[in-house]
Amino acid sequence: MSILASAEKQNLTPYTTKEDSCPQCQRMRYFNERMVLLVGPCYHKMCELCFENTFASGPAACPECQRVLRRNEYYQPIFEDLTVEREVRVRARMAAAYNKRQEDFKSLKDYNDYLEMVEDLTMKLLYEEDTSQTDSIIEKYKRENNAQIERNMSKRQREEMIQRKVLEQEKSKKLQLRDEYLRQLEDERREKIEAKNNIINALATSDKSAKEILKARTVQLKKSSLSNRNAGRKVQLELEALLKSAAEGFYDDDDDDIDVEEIDDGPFDPAESPYEPVIVRLREQYDDPTPAFRQGSLAAGVTREMHQRYLIEGAMAGLFEPPFSGSAKSSNNEGTQDS
Amino acid sequence: MATTHKLQIYQQTSQYRDWRFTPESLAQQRAANNKQGIERVLQGLREEAQVDDGSGATETRIAEATNNLLSPQEEVELIDYYLQTILTYTRIYQRDKLLKAEATNNVKATAINFVKRFYLHNVVFDYPPKTIMLTCFYLATKVENSFVKIDDFIRPLTTAEIKRNGKAQTKSEDILDLEFVVIQSLQFELAVHHPFRPAYGFYLDMQAYIDDKPLLKEVYERTHHYIDQSLYTDLVFLYQPSQIALGAFKLAAKDKELDIDPYLTECFEARLLETLYTILDDIQEIILAHKSITLEKAREIDRKLILCRNPEKNPNSKLYKKNAADKEDAPYVSDSDPE
Repeated sequence: MSILASAEKQNLTPYTTKEDSCPQCQRMRYFNERMVLLVGPCYHKMCELCFENTFASGPAACPECQRVLRRNEYYQPIFEDLTVEREVRVRARMAAAYNKRQEDFKSLKDYNDYLEMVEDLTMKLLYEEDTSQTDSIIEKYKRENNAQIERNMSKRQREEMIQRKVLEQEKSKKLQLRDEYLRQLEDERREKIEAKNNIINALATSDKSAKEILKARTVQLKKSSLSNRNAGRKVQLELEALLKSAAEGFYDDDDDDIDVEEIDDGPFDPAESPYEPVIVRLREQYDDPTPAFRQGSLAAGVTREMHQRYLIEGAMAGLFEPPFSGSAKSSNNEGTQDS
Repeated sequence: MATTHKLQIYQQTSQYRDWRFTPESLAQQRAANNKQGIERVLQGLREEAQVDDGSGATETRIAEATNNLLSPQEEVELIDYYLQTILTYTRIYQRDKLLKAEATNNVKATAINFVKRFYLHNVVFDYPPKTIMLTCFYLATKVENSFVKIDDFIRPLTTAEIKRNGKAQTKSEDILDLEFVVIQSLQFELAVHHPFRPAYGFYLDMQAYIDDKPLLKEVYERTHHYIDQSLYTDLVFLYQPSQIALGAFKLAAKDKELDIDPYLTECFEARLLETLYTILDDIQEIILAHKSITLEKAREIDRKLILCRNPEKNPNSKLYKKNAADKEDAPYVSDSDPE
C-alpha cells in the first residue's frame, strides 16, 4: 500500500475522535483509548479485536457487505470522511499506473486527451460504473506500458531525491554561515578585550607618553578592522563556491535527460531583507557635529549607532553606479516589477 | 543554483527608476517640450482672437508673441533665477523659525528638485515659474516633514509686496490651486534623495582615516557650499546622490588643501576607483561650470514671457475668463471625461 507508506513517511496521523465506536462489537473509545479502527476496500469500519477474530483463519467476508477480503487489505483511515479516503486511494492507484508526462507526447493536445481519458476512468471507478470493465482496461494498460511506467517512476524518485538534497544543502549552508558569523563576533569581542588589556599594561609599564600609546592603538584598530572585513568577505565567497560545485556535482552524474528547472531558494523567510545589504563597518567613536540626532529619536528606539549606520550606508549606496546610459531603463523597470 | 539577484535599496527608489537621464536626453526632452508649448501658445492666441471678435489688436498680439518666444535655453535660465529665490525664502522662513533646523537643507533641495522635475514635463508658457516655485516650496515643506501653514507661508511674501507696491498680490489660492497640477507632473513621486546625507556619512567614515579632525570638519562645512551649487545644475538627473556628495567633498578638500585620496584608496578597490574618478571629475566640472544668471537677464526674459504666455492657462486673459464662464453655465461634466 504505497499511500499508506507515504502517509507514514509524512507522519500523517490516522483520524480518530472520542466518539469512535466499532460498528461490529459496539465497543467505544470511551472505554478503550487505544482502540484502533480499520477499514478495508469496501470501506466498512471494524475495530482491531473484531479484525483479529474475523481474519483469524485466512480470507473472510466483511460482516456488512459480505464481500470476501484479505487481512492485508485493511488499514487505518487518514480522513474523517471515508468517501474522501476512497477517492484519494483510487487516485493514487491511477497515478501509479498512468504516470506519463507531457514530454512523452508529441503535442499538447495529445497530452490533454490522455489526461481526459485518465480522468474518465477515475470517475468510472469512483462512481462504480462498469467497474470490472474499467479494471480490465487499467490492467491491460499496465501490462502494455510496463517499461515506461517503471522508467517514469524511477525518474520521479530521482527528482525527489535531488530536491531533497538541495534543500539539505541550503540548510547546512545557512548553519555554516551562522557559525562563521558567531565565530567572527567572538573573535572581535576577544580582540577588543585584549586590546584594552594591552593598553592598560602599556600605560602601566612603558615610559612613553599616554598620547603616543593611544595613537598607536587607533592605528592598530584600523588595520585589524580592515583585515576582519576582508576575511569575512573571503569566507562568504568560499562558501558560495563550495556550494556551487556541490550542486553541479549532482547534475553531472545523471545520465538521464532530467533537467531540474528552477529550484527555489529554500523556504520563504519573512524576516529576510528584500534588498541587497550595503556593507559598512562602524567605528566606536565619531565626532558627530550636528544635533540631527535628538532625544526624541532615542525614545523611538533609534540608537546613535543605528543613525550613524544609516548615514554611512547612504554614503556608500550607489557610489559605483555608472552614469545613466538610457538603455538600462527598461531592464531596470523589469527588475523592480519582479520584486 | 537559481538564486535571484536582489537589487540594492537605492535601485528601488523612484528617483533611480524614473528620474535619471543623459545630458542628451535632457536637452532633447526640453526642446520637445518647448516646441509643443509654443504650438499651444499660438493655438491659444488664435482662439482668443475669436473671443475678441475681430478687433485688429489680436493680429499684432500674435506677431508680438511670435517675436518674443523663449528658447529652451532661456526657459532653463528663467527657472534657474527662481531657483535662486528659493534660497532667499529659505533664509526668511529660517529666520522666522518656521522650518525645523534639521529639515532646512532637505526642504530647500526638495523644492528645487520639484521645480526641476516639473519643468521636465511642462513649459514656462503654461505655468510661469514664480507661482510654481512657491507651490513646490510649499509642497516640499510637507514632504520633508516640516509643514508651514499656508498663512504663515505667504506672510513674508505679502509683507514684502505691501512694502513695495502698497498692496498684497500673492493669494493663498494661487499656490493651493496649482498643488495638484504639480503633484501630477511629478508623477506622484515625492521622495527625493539629496547629497546631504551621503556627505555627512562620508564625513563620519573619513574620520577613521584622516587624522586632522578640525581640518576635516572645515572641509565638511565647505562641502555644503558645493552641494548647494550642485542643486542648481542637472547633476541630480545624471548621477547618484552619494557620487555628487563625494564630488563636492573633493572640491571642498581642494579648497582647504586636504588630500582625501588616501581614504578612497584604502577603502575601495583600485578597479572600482578608476570608474569612480571619471565620474567625480565630471561632477566637479559641472559644479564649477555653473553660473547663476543675473537679475537683469532674468527681468528681460520675464518681460518676454508676459507677451508669450498661453492665454488658455493665464487667469487674466479673456479666453480664460470666457472658458471659466462657459464651464459655470454648462451642465456638470466630470473633469476626467475626454472631450
